[in-house]
Amino acid sequence: MQHDLTLLAPELLLAGAAMLMVVAEMAHAARLVLAIGLVALLAATGLTLGFLDADTTVFGGTYRIDLIAGWAKLILLPGTALALLMARAEIAGRAREGSVYALIMLVTLGALMLSGAGDMMVLVIGVVMTGIGSFALVAWPRDDAATEGAMKYLVFGAVTGSVMIYGLTFWFGGTGSTLFAALGRLDGQTLVTVAGLVALIVGLGYKAALVPFHFWAPDAYDGAPVSVAAYLSVITKVAAFFAFAQALRDLPREAGWPLALALIAAATMTYGYLAALAQTNLVRLLAYSSVAQSGYLLMGVVALGVSGFAVPGLQIFGGAYVAMNLGAFAVVMAAGRALGDLEGMGRARPWLGAAMVVFLLSLTGIPPLFGFFGKLYLFTAAVEAGYLWLAVIGILNSVLALGVYLRLVVPMYRSPAGAPGQTGGPAAPAGLPLRAVLALCAAATVGLGVFASLLPG
Amino acid sequence: MPLLTIATFLPILAGLALIAVPDRSARVAHGVSIAATAATFAVTLAIWTRGVTAGGFAQVEEIAWIPAIGAVYRMGLDGLSMPLVLLTSLLFLLCAIYSARIGERAASYVVLMLMLETTSLGTFMALDGLLFYVFFEVSLVGMYFMIAGWGYEDRQRAALMFFLYTFLGSLPLLLAIIGLYLGSGSFDMRAWIGAPPLTGLAGMLALIAMLFTFAVKIPAFPVHTWLPTAHVQAPTAGSVILAGVMLKFGTYGLVRFAFQMTPDAFAQAGQVILAFGVVSALYGAFAALAQTDLKKMIAYTSVNHMGYVVIGVAVAALAAEPRIRAIALDGATLQMVSHGLVTGALFFLVGMLQDRAHSRDMAGFGGLLGRVPWLGWAFILSAFGSLGLPGLAHFPAEFQIFLATLDTAPWAIVAILAIVVTAALYLRAIAAVFLGPENEKWSAMPDLDRREMTVIVPLLILTVLIGVAPGWLIDIIHTTMAGLGN
Repeated sequence: MQHDLTLLAPELLLAGAAMLMVVAEMAHAARLVLAIGLVALLAATGLTLGFLDADTTVFGGTYRIDLIAGWAKLILLPGTALALLMARAEIAGRAREGSVYALIMLVTLGALMLSGAGDMMVLVIGVVMTGIGSFALVAWPRDDAATEGAMKYLVFGAVTGSVMIYGLTFWFGGTGSTLFAALGRLDGQTLVTVAGLVALIVGLGYKAALVPFHFWAPDAYDGAPVSVAAYLSVITKVAAFFAFAQALRDLPREAGWPLALALIAAATMTYGYLAALAQTNLVRLLAYSSVAQSGYLLMGVVALGVSGFAVPGLQIFGGAYVAMNLGAFAVVMAAGRALGDLEGMGRARPWLGAAMVVFLLSLTGIPPLFGFFGKLYLFTAAVEAGYLWLAVIGILNSVLALGVYLRLVVPMYRSPAGAPGQTGGPAAPAGLPLRAVLALCAAATVGLGVFASLLPG
Repeated sequence: MPLLTIATFLPILAGLALIAVPDRSARVAHGVSIAATAATFAVTLAIWTRGVTAGGFAQVEEIAWIPAIGAVYRMGLDGLSMPLVLLTSLLFLLCAIYSARIGERAASYVVLMLMLETTSLGTFMALDGLLFYVFFEVSLVGMYFMIAGWGYEDRQRAALMFFLYTFLGSLPLLLAIIGLYLGSGSFDMRAWIGAPPLTGLAGMLALIAMLFTFAVKIPAFPVHTWLPTAHVQAPTAGSVILAGVMLKFGTYGLVRFAFQMTPDAFAQAGQVILAFGVVSALYGAFAALAQTDLKKMIAYTSVNHMGYVVIGVAVAALAAEPRIRAIALDGATLQMVSHGLVTGALFFLVGMLQDRAHSRDMAGFGGLLGRVPWLGWAFILSAFGSLGLPGLAHFPAEFQIFLATLDTAPWAIVAILAIVVTAALYLRAIAAVFLGPENEKWSAMPDLDRREMTVIVPLLILTVLIGVAPGWLIDIIHTTMAGLGN
């Protein structure tokens, strides 16, 4: 028990900090709430480094402390800290400011549960914890768009969550245990396997915004504050893929899930980019683009168990995705939500423009940026797993991706047609928190690409 | 001293330094640009003096890069890459000198050019598959911003088309590299060449992927359509780099990757590849004949000249005798260099004409030879070089290619018709622009100034030198080619 609690130190620290943050919010000390959150996140990241090599479980095998969970923390905790800074930049001084920070912490705690889940019940708790907090975050502005987005998100979440719980009972019935480690016993029970599998795909597919469970994403992101949209687009999503990895690595591949997920991956990336091509609202565009990125992450899950590149691929692309997607949303916060706000930005604000170009090229998968190396691992994993066709579709979609992202780059560097004063969106310079986020995301996107020797393997 | 690494990264480091200095006036920017490219050129000359070795690569430099997957930062040279490296550093130096009059956002322009030089040199010298791909791909980004930022009227569309087209083109190569990696367990290009890891169907699929990538880049018929648009809209230095250096990525990759890493599949597909080469050569010549825009015309002659390279490489794969194979590959490699020099000069000259007249339409000129004799004679010499006149740079290259073709696949000699067509189109262009009655409109046109002379004269000298005495260059090339595919 003592041992268990030591291994859980990051989670416990986060939970304790979240409680403190709620108390501090009652005292209307928003800056204190933020400070507690940031300190706790950094401390928890530091604690994680201590047992990154661990491969064990706690509480009777229900919660895993392994390579996947460890890297999930290394990615999600700093990512959450960046999201807190973005939220600060957007909503500083508004009513109920601190509640956003506290909710973000609780949702991240749920995300950690997802990525360490070794048991169906822990998985369900993770889904519910991330869900409830996220609904409240989306509804936070209390205007029509936010309410509509949150409502869609909630109803979708309630239905998919129920389906998931219902379906997982089949696995429990088939194995006599709620542990994922027992899933090997399902061998031969086709119907039971498929029922649970469908349920899992529905439940986590909703969290990960996979087609066809992605409908909530554009509305929820658009209704929510941009920083919350950025947060939801990376943290809960990446956690869902780690949960996929935790659950499916024990399920025999003969159950057919690799093919099912490969088909969903192909549909997700294609649909996401096609839909993104038609958007003029940058938040919605990035929402669809992040749907498409989910398709790439899913390639890593497809290759699980047969390719040594699958898990590193999820880790590297997961990390890259957090850095570059948060960065792109941060630029949107600084520039404005409409495509037209980018007009001439590259010339009026060269650093902001250069940062956006870096994020977008990395999202496309152009070397030597971080996103490229993530995709390289994922493509290699897919090819090694025998899914050459999926890698080909992924590669063809990269061209579509370039089209989507160049739609943003082209106006940024267009020579000003009208009076020079008209360009550049709101000229207010970004505040310190936002500049810090941009600098850190850009440094990670470029630095971890160029100095790729730091990548795990 | 790791000269290869120094040559590769010196330009981009100079570019980054330029970003850091507070005074980014056009003067400072172009000063940095010329100094950095001149220093790089000097370094590549030092690399040249170190020479290449027969069989394998010389001057290899390596350090660990991504140990987890066995990717290594590894650079090296052989007789195929050495001439291309020299060509690259020379053309970038000349472009830096030529561009010194660009005032519009000069610092950004210079940074992009220096970045392009780094990626170009890196592409030719990389000996790690992943590293090669990184350099190869980043060059697209640089060229995209070059065209979009400093091109002519329709630059946005042209830049977009260039980027999407060539990006689509380069992605199959990534799949092929992944395949080679999974087949061999490393990214070492020397290992891929020494013991080709993919055979049978996998080898053929990898070859098809690579051919697609390099055909787009070369560009060969029918995936050449991005070229005229990109060339016409690109700024002059952009066109020179695009034609002189970046098209060589395609022919270099054709030899280095397709020919050397999937040799069996390449030999099987030899006749098909040869046919594409012949069609490209003929198509490029006839399409060029139909143009009235000088820049577009030269762009299409690139399709023609690169078609000869494809013919040379395909013939080498088909040839039974090592001696013939070496002749074909020597010719193909020399053709890459000659094309870089001659077409580079032609694009510079058209750019100089456009700077003066703001037009590229050959019908709008006439009788310019008397008005601007230096520009005129330089163009005439380069045009004669381009059409393959004996004594000028293309002749020894094309002669060797056709010699090997006649020996191995006589039917493909029909491509020689293209030389007649090229001769016709250049004579027509010379007549329209420089001969005939003088057009009064241009009576005040100035001749080449000192800066422009500095750019053009070295290219003309090399064109003649390679035409008259190509031995010094062929010796380097032959060191490697004599041992290939035995």
